[in-house]
Parts: sequence; structure tokens; C-alpha cells
Amino acid sequence: MNVQFRMRTLSLFSFGLVVTQPVIFSAVGYFLARTAGRTHIDFIHTIIGSGVMGLWSTLLFTSFFDLRADRREGTLELLVGSPTSIFSILAIRAFANVLLGSTSFLLSMIVAMSVFDFSIPSGNLPYFFVSLAILLFGFWCVGIFLAHFPVVSRLSGLFVNYLELPIGLITGFMFPVSLLPIWAQWLSRLIPISWGFNGLSTSFQTDINMPALWTYWLTTLGISLVYLIGTFYMSKKLQNMIRVTGELSSI
Amino acid sequence: MIQRIYSDIRLYLASAWYSYRALYAWQTIGPYMSGKVVFPIAQMLFFLYLGKLAGVQDPLYIVIGNILLLPATNGVAGVSMTISGEREFRTLPYLIASPAPRGPLFLGRSLVHIIDGLLSTIAALILGVLFFHIDLSHSNLALTALCILLLSATSCGLGMLLGSLSLRTREAWTITTMVSILLYILSGVNFPISALPRFLQSISYCLPLTRGIQAARLAMTGADWSTISQLFTGELLIGLIYMAAGYLLFIWFEKLSLVDGQIEAM
Repeated sequence: MNVQFRMRTLSLFSFGLVVTQPVIFSAVGYFLARTAGRTHIDFIHTIIGSGVMGLWSTLLFTSFFDLRADRREGTLELLVGSPTSIFSILAIRAFANVLLGSTSFLLSMIVAMSVFDFSIPSGNLPYFFVSLAILLFGFWCVGIFLAHFPVVSRLSGLFVNYLELPIGLITGFMFPVSLLPIWAQWLSRLIPISWGFNGLSTSFQTDINMPALWTYWLTTLGISLVYLIGTFYMSKKLQNMIRVTGELSSI
Repeated sequence: MIQRIYSDIRLYLASAWYSYRALYAWQTIGPYMSGKVVFPIAQMLFFLYLGKLAGVQDPLYIVIGNILLLPATNGVAGVSMTISGEREFRTLPYLIASPAPRGPLFLGRSLVHIIDGLLSTIAALILGVLFFHIDLSHSNLALTALCILLLSATSCGLGMLLGSLSLRTREAWTITTMVSILLYILSGVNFPISALPRFLQSISYCLPLTRGIQAARLAMTGADWSTISQLFTGELLIGLIYMAAGYLLFIWFEKLSLVDGQIEAM
């Protein structure tokens, strides 16, 4: 994890994702509001949401590109052949990537607090930290799940760009999911980070709806665990499959 | 002289052909077409909902803007990636060592991106008409097509400029990604340039795409050549300046890299 984290923090690519993208997405939201003649913006979605969007993009791209780099540098074979399971390796990498991506969220909080005088009610801080931890756990589980795809196929790299905005769209980081059509709202419910973000948004409210918050926390944890357990079994099958068929570097 | 021109054209086309073989020939129609459908739709919807949240009255402005940005995405990212890709796959030193003229060699690689950008835009326009009810009945289609072709070409100039950085840094792709994202703000895709602070407006007008997108928007509402000619020629001029700057930067970086032996360094 130490190596992974150092590689990430020394990379301009990661820095660019972490810093630039949330700033740009926030700015687009801000200028759109200005164009519409509004003087106030929706802080949760425009500022905080863009930070979470940055976290999502960082996790998605780093998870895919790590494996792509391994494949190109010829270290993927060594990873698959080593006695440490591919699940463990990807889990550790995803954890480092989530930690790095969370700096994007941290930056958005700093901007919200320093530039826009946004504040979290002091009594809400414990709920905020629990919500954040659960959201990051959701991201970690999704990150491990996604990181397995480049092991199977080179073509999966093509889908990275296609996943970023659609998932950002249906998880409602930057606008409420209620704006979306009903079918998209149902899709949103299958993604743990969507519930996790709802929990985080709720923790900012002055009068917290505790039953709703508990529902968001438990649902995030439940769906995340389904992803984690599913990925664990998928990982074992995948490791066996690529060893038996010898297709690790063929596709 | 004629022999030289013939040789350059042959090299340009050969370079375009190799680029096509490397980037697209191995793809199957399914993943390729899904990229042409999923990405534009997602991009349009994402910014459309951002606009809805902000209370924007004209969502089609955002939809059309994002369609017009597609050829630019191909041009900027594609051309830049072509040069950085040579470095990544360790073929750059061979190209640098060859006596082939750099212009046709690298500009030829942009041809497939121009064509692909056009295909992306046509696909996105069809999707825009089907899903977002864009009304093209009053459009000046010939001029709109010309503007889109211009956008595809001028964005390659920016791509060439950014791709040249590959000779000096491994992070050229990162810089390209950041600049590409900046275009969501600076090129008038999602909101008019007039919404930006004055200093950002100045930057915006120094970039390719800004005038081209404005010209294409006007052509889509039925404007004729006399209305858009100033914007069109301005875009063409900016595109040529970027193309020339990219080429000169490439030549300069190439010389620097040969002198200090940094071509494969960080």
C-alpha cells in the first residue's frame, strides 16, 4: 500500500484528477446558475458533489490504469502467478486509491467552508464522519469490483470513459436523483455509493432525519458487502480461469 | 519539387493508414458503436441535469454545445495521445531517428481523428434529434457540416501542441486531460462565454473551438455565410496558429531532447 500510495501521490495524472476535475465541474455548475440568473448555488451538489465526483473519477481511472500499466510493463503475469491472491492485491490498491480520491472530497469541503461559508452543525459531526466512512467503504467495494475487469480483457479499458459520466449521472452526486426518470432512479438504488452520498447529504442537515440516515447507512453497507462478497468469489473463479485457459495476455 | 510533394502526401496517407490500423482496425463494431452512443448521451445528460439543477431555461443550448465539443475531444485527445502513445510503446526514438519530415508524419496521424470526430458528431446529432428533439429543419446543414469539419481540424492543432509535450514529459497525457476538461468552461459549450469573468473570456477567445462553436450554433439556426464568416475565418486562423505552434514546438523539443538525451527520460 505504501508503494501504491507513493506512486499515486507522485503522479501528476492523479493530482490532475483529484484537483482539476472537481474544480471544473463545480465551476460549470456555478456558471450555469449565473447564466440562469441565480445568486445562490446548491452547495451539496455543486461543491460537495463535485468532490465526490472527483473521488469517483480518481477511483475509476486509477483502478483501470493500474492494471493496464501492469499488463504493458509485464508485471501482471507476476501478480497473477504470485501466492498472494489477486483479490488482496487489488483490495489494497483500491484502498490507496480511495484514500487519494478522498483528498478531492476534502478539497471540496475546504472550498465550501472557506469560500462559501458552508458549515456543518457541530452536533452533526459524528454523523458526518460515520457517513463519510461508510461512503468510502462503498467506494472501496466498488473499486475492487471494477479493478478486476482489466485483468480479464484489454478491451475493458475502452469502457472506462463510458463509465465515468453514466455512473456520475445515476448516483446523483451533482444533482438530486429525483430529477432523473424513474427507471434511472431504480438503477441508482443498485449502487452503494449512491446511498452513501444520500447519507452524507443527510448528515449536513440541521434537523437530521435519523430513521432515513440509518436506512442510508445500512443500505450502503448491505449493498457494499454484496459487491465485496460477489467480487471475492468472482476473483477466485477469474484467477483459476486465466491460469487454465492461458488467456491472461491474449485479449 | 513535385517529387517532394508527392512523397509528403504519400507519407501523410501512410501515416493516417497506420494510425487507423493501430487505433481502430482491431476494434469490433459493437464496442466502437457503443462508444459513439454511450459517451455522447451520458455527457449531454450529465450537463443537461446540471443545467436543470441550476435552473437553465434553454437545455438545448447545453445539448448542442456538447455535441459540438465531440469532434474537439477527438482532435485534442486523439492527436495528443498519438504522440504520447509513440513514447509509451517505445517507437518514438525510431520516428525521431528517421529522416521523414515531421509535418506529414504526425499530421497524417490526425486524419483518422478528424474523420472519427465527424462520425462521432453525426451519431450524436442523430441521438440529439431522436432523444432531445433538436430541430434541424431551419438549419443551414451545409454550413453546419463545414463548421464541424473545421472544429475537427482546428482542435487537432491544440492536440499537436499538447502532444509535443510528450517529448519532454511523460505526463503530457495528464495535461491534455486537464485542458480537455477545461474546455467545458472555456469554449462556450454549456453556457455563453459572456457568463465568464473578463480574464477568462480573453483566454477563451485565444483558444480554438470558441469561435467555431459559435459559428456552428449560428449555422444550426439557419444563419448564412455572411453572418458566420468572421467567426469561421477567426477559428480557421486560430487553428492554423495552433497547428504551426504545435509543429514548431515539436521541432524545438526534438532538438532539445537530442541535445540533452532526454527523449526517454521523465
